Amino acid sequence: MDLAIDEGTLERLKGIRALGASQIRPLGIEADRLGRPTPPEHPFFEGLVRAGQGRTRWRGEGSGTQSEERAGSIGSSRSTLCLAEEMSYWDRGVAVSFPGPGLGEPPLISMGTEDQKRRFLGPFVHPDRARWGSFAMTEPGAGSDVAGIRASARKEGNTWILNGAKSFAANASRSDWIVVWATVDSSLGREGHRAFVVEKGTPGLGDFQVERKMGLKAYESTSFSLVDCRVPAENLIGGEEHYARRAGFKGAMRSFNATRPLVAVMAVGIGRAALDAGVEFAEKSDLLGDIRIRDRLERTRRKLRSARLLCWRAAWLADHGRPNILEASMAKAAAPTAALEAASLGMEILGVVGGRGDHLIEKLYRDVKAMDIVEGTGQVQRLIMARQLVQLPRD
Amino acid sequence: MIDFQIGDELELVRNTALNYADDHLRPALRENESARTPGRAAEEAFAEIGFATLEWPELDAESGLGAVARYLVLEELAAADPGAALALDPLGPALYPLMELGGPDAVRDFGEPLLSSMGSRGLLIWNGAGAPRCLERKGNSWSGVVPWVPADRADLVVVLDEEGASVVQQGIELERLRGSGLRTAGASELTLHSAPIAAEWSGADGARRALARARLYVAALLVGVMRESSDYSRRYAMDRVAFGKPIAHHQALAFLIADMAIAVDSARILGLEAAWRLDTGRPGEEASATAFLEAAEQATFVTPNGVQILGGHGFMQDHPVEKFMREGRTLGLFFGGVDGAREDAARGMKAFPEEPLLPLGAA
Ligand SMILES: Cc1cc2nc3c(=O)[nH]c(=O)nc-3n(C[C@H](O)[C@H](O)[C@H](O)COP(=O)(O)OP(=O)(O)OC[C@H]3O[C@@H](n4cnc5c(N)ncnc54)[C@H](O)[C@@H]3O)c2cc1C
Repeated sequence: MDLAIDEGTLERLKGIRALGASQIRPLGIEADRLGRPTPPEHPFFEGLVRAGQGRTRWRGEGSGTQSEERAGSIGSSRSTLCLAEEMSYWDRGVAVSFPGPGLGEPPLISMGTEDQKRRFLGPFVHPDRARWGSFAMTEPGAGSDVAGIRASARKEGNTWILNGAKSFAANASRSDWIVVWATVDSSLGREGHRAFVVEKGTPGLGDFQVERKMGLKAYESTSFSLVDCRVPAENLIGGEEHYARRAGFKGAMRSFNATRPLVAVMAVGIGRAALDAGVEFAEKSDLLGDIRIRDRLERTRRKLRSARLLCWRAAWLADHGRPNILEASMAKAAAPTAALEAASLGMEILGVVGGRGDHLIEKLYRDVKAMDIVEGTGQVQRLIMARQLVQLPRD
Repeated sequence: MIDFQIGDELELVRNTALNYADDHLRPALRENESARTPGRAAEEAFAEIGFATLEWPELDAESGLGAVARYLVLEELAAADPGAALALDPLGPALYPLMELGGPDAVRDFGEPLLSSMGSRGLLIWNGAGAPRCLERKGNSWSGVVPWVPADRADLVVVLDEEGASVVQQGIELERLRGSGLRTAGASELTLHSAPIAAEWSGADGARRALARARLYVAALLVGVMRESSDYSRRYAMDRVAFGKPIAHHQALAFLIADMAIAVDSARILGLEAAWRLDTGRPGEEASATAFLEAAEQATFVTPNGVQILGGHGFMQDHPVEKFMREGRTLGLFFGGVDGAREDAARGMKAFPEEPLLPLGAA
C-alpha cells in the first residue's frame, strides 16, 4: 500500500497551483460576475494551447489496440485525479472550459475506429489553435433515465438522418464536433442507441442555446437541436459492426465508469477550496478558537479526505483493469455531498457576509451543487450501487 | 505512487484472521458473550498463530508487521466479535505506551510475561483530556475508580496521559458489571488502591503516538463491527419479502444500504490511510484521530440501521445486529471518545498551506 503522491505529480501540481492563483480563479470569478462563459477567442485559451494543453490522450496512429486496452483508465489514472482536483480547486468552471476533446474523447477512444480517431482526435494531437469536442446524451425529456432518449437516427443510403433535441452539453457551440447519442428504435431501449460524431456546420445542427446557470458559469452548457441533420455513415462511432455486437450502451457506460471518480474528485477540489476559504475567514475573524466552528471544520475536512481516498481507490481499480462500478459510484455519491457541506459551512462562517453575493465561498456554494447532478445524480449512484449490493433489478 | 494493493503477506495475515474468526468466534457468539470469554480453545489457537505479537518490535518471524497488519486483523476479528478481539489480545492497546515510550525493554519486561499465561489482560487507561480523569497520582502510586473496563481480569494497567505513561501491576481491584457491548471481553469497574507504579516514562511526543495507535486500534474494531452489521442486514434484506419484493428492492432500503456501504468504506479507508502513515514513519496523530472519529460516527449511523433493516427481528437476540449496535456505540467511548479525538483531528487546521493537497493531510 502506498498513498504518497509521486514527485512528478507534485511538480505538476505546483504548476497548476501557480496558474490557478494567477489565472484560473480570476477568470472563473470574472465569468461568474459577468454571467457568461469565457468566450472561445479569449487569449487565455490560446495561451493554454501554446503551453501544451488541450491535447488528446490518444497516442496517435497505430496505437489503436493499446489505447483500447487502456480505455478503462482514461481520465482516471491516479495522477490525472490529483491534477483534476487541483484544477477544480482553483475553478471547476474554468477547468471544464479548457480546450480539448472533453467528454467526447472516451467514447471515441474506446469504441471508435482507427479512421475515426485519426479524423476527430488527430487535430487534438498537436492542436494549431484552441479546439473543443463535446458530448451530448441528455435531452429535455431524458437525463438520468438514459434509456429514454428520443433523438432518432434513421439510415438513408450512406447517410444517417438525426432528429431531436439535446440539453446542457458542455462546450457544444464552440466545438469542432459533438458526440451525439441517438436511437434507431426507442422501443429497443439501450440496445437501440448509437453514437455519432456530428461536425460543426452540419446542416440541421443548430439552435444553440447557452443556458443560464446557477454556477459554473465559466463554461457553456448548451442545448441544441438536430433537424434532419445528415451525418455520413463514417461518423457512426465504431461502425455498424460495433453495435451488432450490442456493445452500444456498454460503450457509453464504460466511459462513465472511468469518469465518475474523476468528476467526484473535482467535487473534492471545490470542497477543499471552500474549506480553505472558510478556515482563512475564520482565522481572520478570530473564530478558529471557537469549538463549534472548529469541530465542524474538522468534520468537513474529514469527509473530503475520505471522499478523496474513495476516488483514488476507484481510479486505482480502473487503472488495474479491475471492476470498479461499486467503488466509482461510491466515490461519486460521497464527494459532492462532502463538498456541498464544506461550501455550506463556509457560508455560515461568513455569516451575513455570505449574503452579499461577492465572496468566493458564495460562488463555490453555487458551483458545487452541479457535482451531485452531472455524471449521474446522487440517487442514480445509489441505484447503481444497489444493483451491485442487493441485485436491484434495473426496472 | 498511490497503490491500494496490500500485498501477499498482508493478504495472508488477513485471511488467517478471517479463517480464525470463522472457526473460533462466529460459531459461539452468544455463548461467549454470556460466558464473558472466548474460551480456552480460542485463546490457544490465537496464541498459536501469533496474532498478539504482530506489531511488537521484531521478536520472531510473525512480529514487526506493523499497523496495517494489525488493522486488518482487528477488522476481521471484530467483524465476528470485537469483545473477543479485545479478550484475546493480552496487551491490546496497552502495548502502545510500552512500545512508544518504554521501548523494547519495556515490551519485554511488562509485555512478554502476559503472553505465557493464557487469558492474561493488560489494560490501557487514558487519563488525559476528553476523558474524566478518574485516576489520581499520589507520590509513587495511582488511586481512583474507572467506571468501566472491558475485562474481568487485569494483570497490568498502563496509565497514559499527555505527559507520559506508567505501569501498575498491584493494588488492582475489579468488580464485575453486566456491561453494554463487548461482553465477551468481560466488564468491570476498576479500582486502583494506591497501586504502586512499577515503571514510568515521560514524553509528550511518545504519548501522542501511543494514543494515536490506540485510537487506530479501536477504529479498526469499529470498522469490523459496522462492516458486519452492514453485510448481515444487506443479506437479510435480499431474502426478506414485503409488499411483493425483497425489502432491499424498495428504494428507501436500497439507498439506505448503499449509504451504509459508503459509511463503512469511508471509515475503513481513513483507517488504512492512518495505519499506512504510521508504518511509513509519517506523522499519524491527526490521521488516526480522524480515522477514529469517522469510525465512531459512522458506526452510530450504520449499526442502529442494521437493526432497523431487520425490523422487529433485529431487536431480538436471535440475530447479531443488536449486538453490533451495542458494540458500535461502546467502542466509540474509549480514550476520551469522539470529543477528545476531535481536538487532535482539528489540530493544524489552517488555510492556504504551502504544499498542494496538504490541507487534507495527504502529503
Ligand atoms: C452543469 C451541468 C453540465 C452538464 N453537462 C452535460 C454534458 O456535457 N453532456 C450531457 O449529455 N449532459 C450534461 N448534463 C446533464 C446531466 O447529465 C443531467 O442533468 C443528469 O443526468 C440528470 O438528468 P435530468 O437533469 O434530466 O434529471 P432527471 O433525470 O429528471 O432527475 C430528476 C431527479 O429525479 C431523480 N431520479 C431520477 N431517476 C430516479 C430513480 N430511478 N430513483 C430515484 N431518483 C431518481 C434524480 O436523481 C433527480 O434528483 C449536465 C448537467 C449540468 C447541471
